[in-house]
Amino acid sequence: MDLLSFARGPALKVALAVFCLGVGWRIVGFWLLRHRRNLNKPRASVLKFLSEGFVAVGSRSWPHREFIGRTGAGEALGYSYHLGLFAVVLLFTPHILFLGSLFGITWPGLPSSLITMISVLTLTLFLAVLFRRVTNPVMRMLSNFDDYFSWFITALVMVTGLAATAHIGGPYQIILGVHILSVDVLLIWFPFGKLMHAFYIFPSRAINGALLARKGAVS
Amino acid sequence: MSDATGVLAADLAPEQAKTPEARVAGAMHGFAQEIGALSAFRLESCIHCGICADACHFYIATEDPQYTPVWKVEPFKQAYKREASPFAPLYRLLGLKRAVTADQLVQWQHLLFDSCNMCGRCSLICPMGIDVAALIEQARHAMFDAGLAPKELYQKAAHQRATGQPEASTEPYREQLLAIGTRFAVEIPLDKPEAEVMLCVPRTDIEHYPSAVAALARVMQHLGISRTFRSDGLVAENYGYYAGGKSWQRDISLRLIEQAILVKAKTLLVPECGHAYTALRWEAADLYGKPLPFTVRHVTEFLADELQAGRLKLAQAATGKTTFHDPCQLVRKGGVNDAPRALMKAMGIELDELKNHGGFSFCCGGGGGVLDIERAAPLRYRTMQNKLREIDDTGAETFLTSCSDCRRTFDDAQAHFSWNKSTHSLLELVAKNLAGAGNRT
Amino acid sequence: MTHAKSELTVGEMLLRHGISRRSFIKFCTATASAMALPPWMGPAMAEQLRNSPRPSVVYLSFQECTGCLESLTRSFAPTIEDLIFNTISLDYNDTLMAASGEAAESARAKAMQDNFGKYVLVVDGSVPTGAGGAYCTAGGRSAEDTLREAAKGAAAVVCVGTCAAFGGIPFADPNPTSAWPVSAIVGDKPLINVSGCPPMPEVITGTLLQFVTTGRVPDLDEHRRPKVFFGNTIHDRCYRRPFYDQGKFAKTFDDEGARNGWCLYELGCKGPTTYNACATIKWNGGTSFPIQSGHGCIGCSEPGFWDKGSFYSPLSAPAWGKAGEVSPRQVGELAGAAVAAGAVLVLASAGVSRLRQRHGEQHTDNEPKGS
Repeated sequence: MDLLSFARGPALKVALAVFCLGVGWRIVGFWLLRHRRNLNKPRASVLKFLSEGFVAVGSRSWPHREFIGRTGAGEALGYSYHLGLFAVVLLFTPHILFLGSLFGITWPGLPSSLITMISVLTLTLFLAVLFRRVTNPVMRMLSNFDDYFSWFITALVMVTGLAATAHIGGPYQIILGVHILSVDVLLIWFPFGKLMHAFYIFPSRAINGALLARKGAVS
Repeated sequence: MSDATGVLAADLAPEQAKTPEARVAGAMHGFAQEIGALSAFRLESCIHCGICADACHFYIATEDPQYTPVWKVEPFKQAYKREASPFAPLYRLLGLKRAVTADQLVQWQHLLFDSCNMCGRCSLICPMGIDVAALIEQARHAMFDAGLAPKELYQKAAHQRATGQPEASTEPYREQLLAIGTRFAVEIPLDKPEAEVMLCVPRTDIEHYPSAVAALARVMQHLGISRTFRSDGLVAENYGYYAGGKSWQRDISLRLIEQAILVKAKTLLVPECGHAYTALRWEAADLYGKPLPFTVRHVTEFLADELQAGRLKLAQAATGKTTFHDPCQLVRKGGVNDAPRALMKAMGIELDELKNHGGFSFCCGGGGGVLDIERAAPLRYRTMQNKLREIDDTGAETFLTSCSDCRRTFDDAQAHFSWNKSTHSLLELVAKNLAGAGNRT
Repeated sequence: MTHAKSELTVGEMLLRHGISRRSFIKFCTATASAMALPPWMGPAMAEQLRNSPRPSVVYLSFQECTGCLESLTRSFAPTIEDLIFNTISLDYNDTLMAASGEAAESARAKAMQDNFGKYVLVVDGSVPTGAGGAYCTAGGRSAEDTLREAAKGAAAVVCVGTCAAFGGIPFADPNPTSAWPVSAIVGDKPLINVSGCPPMPEVITGTLLQFVTTGRVPDLDEHRRPKVFFGNTIHDRCYRRPFYDQGKFAKTFDDEGARNGWCLYELGCKGPTTYNACATIKWNGGTSFPIQSGHGCIGCSEPGFWDKGSFYSPLSAPAWGKAGEVSPRQVGELAGAAVAAGAVLVLASAGVSRLRQRHGEQHTDNEPKGS
């Protein structure tokens, strides 16, 4: 079987299965641990509790005024490449078709050359982010295999995707095969590393916001 | 090993007197066994962005990465992943995470106790919405179980659990309280069988700021509210909370709870103390096992309500340029944002706010028991400088706060730095500016 | 059309048909140019051809549809291609020859014997080995046997069409006849794959011509296809490329995009992964090619093209289904099964954990549990 057929055939099937199984396992796994009931009298109504939770999902996307001086640049860098990634993954027609065959719905995409420009910009930001992780003393101390490998596999997907669209680096079916295979590896890695934050981020912010609102505290 | 070892060995029941290594292993095992879904979720969500460091004044003052808040719980993240996480068997099987060692935990004592005020500022900055301060609290529980609470905190917690006082005093606090009543000519209702409001005092005030104790008594007398102090539940602070001994925290809170129930109080009034508010308002019911049959109010909340209801009237206070320090446990973690400012407004005070105020205020530097830990003093002083500068930058003449431990921390800094400001109690200011006659007797 | 080995040279044959030397040189030059050979080769090829006796070609057909032969003979300008036919001595072709039965077979045997070691063996169709070779027999002999025997005396083997080159349609899943490409049977001879379903006429003739005139096998890619014709993908040379780059894709076969000639990627075009000359040389004397006619390339010159996913499923779509096209329903079933499996496994493991937790409950005093 040639590389491309393998990557988008059996490898993809296995990758998706591991992804779904792993994500399910991981989330259910810790959610089954003990839940503590809050017996203290809340300061806020249930409505406020819930609504503040929802608000926190968005409001935590940008630091409070008091923190911007120290964290604004870093957070802006992080969010920028995320936006670039979302644009490329969700608005490039071949990707839309891929997702369409998984979920049964499609939507309009952006011109491919615009996507290429966004990809190049995103990749540059992504490299900047690695540079920051390695040079910033706090991040360097915190970082482990998970951080570097998750970066690497995402970068590989981006680079091979760019190479495929630009038709550079070898015969197209090989480059495309490598690109899809790297996506397969990313899917398999996903449940085991920090990429899970994609699933965690909204509930985590919501819970934090809600619990703080419960006390009438700022969030 | 730890400073607390000697004390622990003597104190623990025979079956719990294990070797330090065994104790550490037991504590970590206990941590992993008892970790709940929410704490687990928080540990899972960390993406190593390091942004929490930028909220922590220990990091800001020193630029030392080890003070990154989430790094303070690193051994616990390790233990969770290795023993309680969904993929724990995989981690163990493939040797991907090692077991936390006793040495590691000893190293971490400095990070979890000396360099953390439990102020909660990190919980406001985390982009993933992780309550890092809550994780620190959890970690302290395991440190306590491992016999690694700093001796000053441990000893005070043990003493308070046994006697109701964190430390022995020349005279029992009960006697000192009555003496304050005499000295300041104010009523001290003590050990009444029934009362609507149960009162307690910060022992810091008994020992260092008796005028604040008098202020509390005076304001309550002025309002004519049915109230009492209770000899068996007098101290507001909770050293079990600082030391991380959860069951001891419960036992200490229970004193106040039981007395409040005994007198059929509707309100348990927390005096000017920050962590007493956290321990009683937001943690006591869970430790008690059921909802409390009374309301817990901080004195500023209580007075602000009285003000709102028209039962409390205040005169104008001539304080000149004034600024206010928001105690972390009261405002940021406690949710009592508006009450202090309502009281100050009623006295005609227009605050020159600190650059970081309200829920974003920097901790005084003494919170979380740090003030009690001797060896932490140099780091504390270094870290406090930022806060003192902020206060100076407002150009204020009068500096107010509403927590006796904050007050003590600032006054300690005043001595150390020859700082030109004294710290004043908001409650004392209120007591000085009561207007009109009291409504009830 | 069996010819005995004749004294007539190619040039003499051409003259008989009224083709001047100049015309023939022009043709050879055009062919040489199509094959990216240097310009001087055209006249050289012409001279060489004109002065040589016509080389023997034995054309064997196995499990095939005869489309490759149709392509070769369905030339737009019959005179030219016909001439090429006349520049070789096509000593055996079961479709075109007049003779049949024993007469045909003995003619083949004689040609192979007379030209042993020098004839060009052209093969189309795949070779079935199932049922002892019974799926394809001629004159009572299996295709495999015939091929092995014919290969012995061949100077080179030219596999015309994807069936001969890669197994093609008979080779596709489930391959009931155990069909194989020629290269799986013949190992020790120079072999050229001229793939396509069918291959382009000019590609077949150009390859044959080059071998016949130079005696050398042209530069081949990893699938043994002449690089000069199979070196670029359809996508590389497609005139609709600007629309691909702009992201303008036709979504259905008759929508506005399709009518405006937009890229057919969404409709399953395999141009990017298909190597052939369709986009440049085009079919029917340069008239058109599938994409120009509005249908995506199906990748017919690639190995296993029939099993590489639906013709109408884009290259970026998953391709693990039986028909090659993956439906959302299949994905849903897979995902659901996986999530359920994960949940069951973790519930089981949590149950075990809880039992262990209850066991270790006595070690701390009365502590409130979980937070």
